[in-house]
Amino acid sequence: MRLTLNINRFDPQTDNKPYGREYTVDWEQHETVLDLLLKTRREDPSLAFRRSCRSSICGSCAMLIADRSQLACHTLVREVAGDGGSLCIKPLPGFRQLKDLVVEMDPFFDALKRVLPWVITVPQHNGLVSQEDSERIEPPATCILCGVCDAEVRQSGSVTPAALVKNVRLAVDPRDALGINRMKITGLTEEGLQTFRELLASVCPKGIKLPPVALE
Amino acid sequence: MIFHDVVIVGGGLTGLMAAVEAPPGTDVAVISKIYPTRSHSGAAQGGFNAALGDDDSVEDHLFDTVKGGDYLGDQDAIEVLCSEGPEVIRQLERMGVPWSRTPDGRPAQRSLGGAGFPRACYAADISGHVVLHTLYERALAAGVRIYPEWHLVELLVEDGALAGLLVYDLATGRLEVVRCRVALLATGGYGRIFRKTTNGHANTGDGTAIAYRAGAVLADMEFVQFHPTTLCGTNILISEAARGEGGYLFNAVGERFMARYAPQKMELAPRDVVSRSIFQEIKEGRGLGNGYVHLDLTHLGVDKITRRLPQVNDLARIYAAVDPTQAPIPIEPAQHYSMGGIRVNLSCETNIPGLLAAGETANVSVHGANRLGGNSLLETVVFGRRAGRHMLKAADHSSPPRSSLELALARWQAIFSAGKPQEPGDDSASAIRDAMSRTMTDKVGVFRTGEELREAVEEIAALRRRYGALRVPAGEHPFNYQLIEHLELGCLLELSEVTAGAAYRRTESRGAHYRMDHPLRDDANWLHHTLVRRGGAGPVYEAGPVSITRFQPETRGY
Ligand SMILES: Cc1cc2nc3c(=O)[nH]c(=O)nc-3n(C[C@H](O)[C@H](O)[C@H](O)COP(=O)(O)OP(=O)(O)OC[C@H]3O[C@@H](n4cnc5c(N)ncnc54)[C@H](O)[C@@H]3O)c2cc1C
Ligand code: SF4
Ligand code: FES
Repeated sequence: MRLTLNINRFDPQTDNKPYGREYTVDWEQHETVLDLLLKTRREDPSLAFRRSCRSSICGSCAMLIADRSQLACHTLVREVAGDGGSLCIKPLPGFRQLKDLVVEMDPFFDALKRVLPWVITVPQHNGLVSQEDSERIEPPATCILCGVCDAEVRQSGSVTPAALVKNVRLAVDPRDALGINRMKITGLTEEGLQTFRELLASVCPKGIKLPPVALE
Repeated sequence: MIFHDVVIVGGGLTGLMAAVEAPPGTDVAVISKIYPTRSHSGAAQGGFNAALGDDDSVEDHLFDTVKGGDYLGDQDAIEVLCSEGPEVIRQLERMGVPWSRTPDGRPAQRSLGGAGFPRACYAADISGHVVLHTLYERALAAGVRIYPEWHLVELLVEDGALAGLLVYDLATGRLEVVRCRVALLATGGYGRIFRKTTNGHANTGDGTAIAYRAGAVLADMEFVQFHPTTLCGTNILISEAARGEGGYLFNAVGERFMARYAPQKMELAPRDVVSRSIFQEIKEGRGLGNGYVHLDLTHLGVDKITRRLPQVNDLARIYAAVDPTQAPIPIEPAQHYSMGGIRVNLSCETNIPGLLAAGETANVSVHGANRLGGNSLLETVVFGRRAGRHMLKAADHSSPPRSSLELALARWQAIFSAGKPQEPGDDSASAIRDAMSRTMTDKVGVFRTGEELREAVEEIAALRRRYGALRVPAGEHPFNYQLIEHLELGCLLELSEVTAGAAYRRTESRGAHYRMDHPLRDDANWLHHTLVRRGGAGPVYEAGPVSITRFQPETRGY
């Protein structure tokens, strides 16, 4: 099968503004959008995009594919190719485009720091964690820091979406000295949190479902 | 020029563990060609071995590892690995790792191949991911300076000692000279020399190759692990945890064929044994389709699969269009782990003063001729910690780089074509890389012969000549991935050459190195490490002694 890829290109050294460039690529039933990008780069080695694991675990390849922020390696071509055999790929929205599909990630990582993103271990903790607690920690701990939620969700509270996910992961950890107090800095109401939970489950490529967590 | 007391290259488990374990107050920087959380450590699924269980013991872990490695592992190093393991796991627990738990709240452990006990601590099947993120959090807490998307290009060695690093900063497109008192390479494996590999795109062995060029000794490069269960086609890993949780392997006629090859351990025999068995089945006509077998999890039930193996469940659905709760998964063996690497001692020191190495990029020889599942993640944290604690003591008072820097800058300039545009029909990095990785998979794979290995050595030499004529069009531009791929290809070719060369030399079969023309282990002639140095006319090989303390070599059966 054949497809026209329209890729948003921008080279800060030569271009005043981004423009779309078309490539024709062959694709097969089982291939992902990342496979197409890799093929395209063989034809045009100047194309810039990030990738590492190609198995949806490293969070490198988030971008706007067919108007939705998602991971290129987690998106099957057959699910996004339009009827006319075309597909539009742009950088992750809400992030500054540095070159082609490469966006600025430093502000995203810096925003995590706002929630003190590490377990502040209770000094005398005995290292035992119940299965129940561990099952609550696991979903938010699955976060791969890809940035899709920051791109897709307009967040009302005072922390960014991915930082909120990290914060919840820490708040439900019985080893953490701040624990549930962490939720105070989010400035969220119950409804706000519930809305976020639902939005996240629908956009997050890891399908993260936040566990119940009290707000005070 | 940038200066830090300690510079760690690599932001995977090894590099981050070293960074957080450096003595408090040390000025530490981590340089990583991708953001640390993108490191391939995060893809590890199965778990971290440590003898924590009441029925288990350090002694048993030691023996399993020695035997698993077909007696080539250094027993002094394995002793460090196994005896420090439980303590490091408890330390990770305190750092906040979200392990899966036993009913009484301790870290849960599962069986992986070649082990006598359920010994691997895990978090569902995202074990590497959760520990990588926890260590990244600790690095932030400790205020470690991170330089993300900085790509090591060369090590500068002056009068035989490390004098600095030459690094390309992707975001600015500029070359930087980084000086330090001591540097640690934690740059991971080089699985990408093979066409079929579970390794991610970044696993190009840069640190190993760059150190080799700078004069470091490499060891045991012929020992390459092929994982039995990777998705047919993409070679994305399906963790050994799938078999640890009870999965079966079936051939085309519906037999659990491992009964023929490892009647006791069955599917949980070490990886070299299982991979060879799969190929043997295929060779004898009992494979499916164009050469695969089935990994069947259906009898485990939906609940166990979704709780214990959520990632496997997801990977099979997306990348193989199979629902593993309903149907068997088509799998084939593929390259997975590089046992070879930069030769180091128990303090992670290389033969170059001021340069340390640890993790998959290094060879302290805890895995010998074949690594056991769960031992590599353990190695990253045990030896990462040792390196971090030891680094300042290994600091060398080297002079600033002078002639080494001039030479390196001249080599750098020579990479670029200075504006000459690429013509259609010109040779390309991707063409050379395809040929290289095909040669390695076809001729330096699970079953090897002297003749094919000799051909591989010659083919790689020819590809290296082609590579030598290749130039990169754009200069020092930001995010010049063409440049990155060019640099990576140079490293891959360097490592392909010594992998094929060392495999050709070793005329015996041991662990993962199987020579059809020399099918038996030959302790009289080959119970030694293969050491290699880069000479003027190519690799120079020699033998190095193996540390044998407690366990004398025996026949290895499962
Ligand atoms: C899919 C998969 C599953 C696995 N599962 C298990 C398991 O269950 N149990 C187990 O014990 N082992 C497992 N392993 C093996 C284990 O994960 C690895 O051996 C280990 O994680 C390697 O860690 P590392 O820190 O040495 O390197 P990596 O995690 O690969 O990190 C390398 C780092 O070096 C940096 N780097 C590389 N080159 C450069 C350069 N030129 N300049 C700057 N930085 C550079 C990269 O950015 C990266 O941060 C698995 C491996 C794979 C591929
Ligand atoms: S919560 Fe999901 S979408 Fe957001 S960064 Fe994490 S993995 Fe990505
Ligand atoms: S390449 Fe790792 S998430 Fe896509």
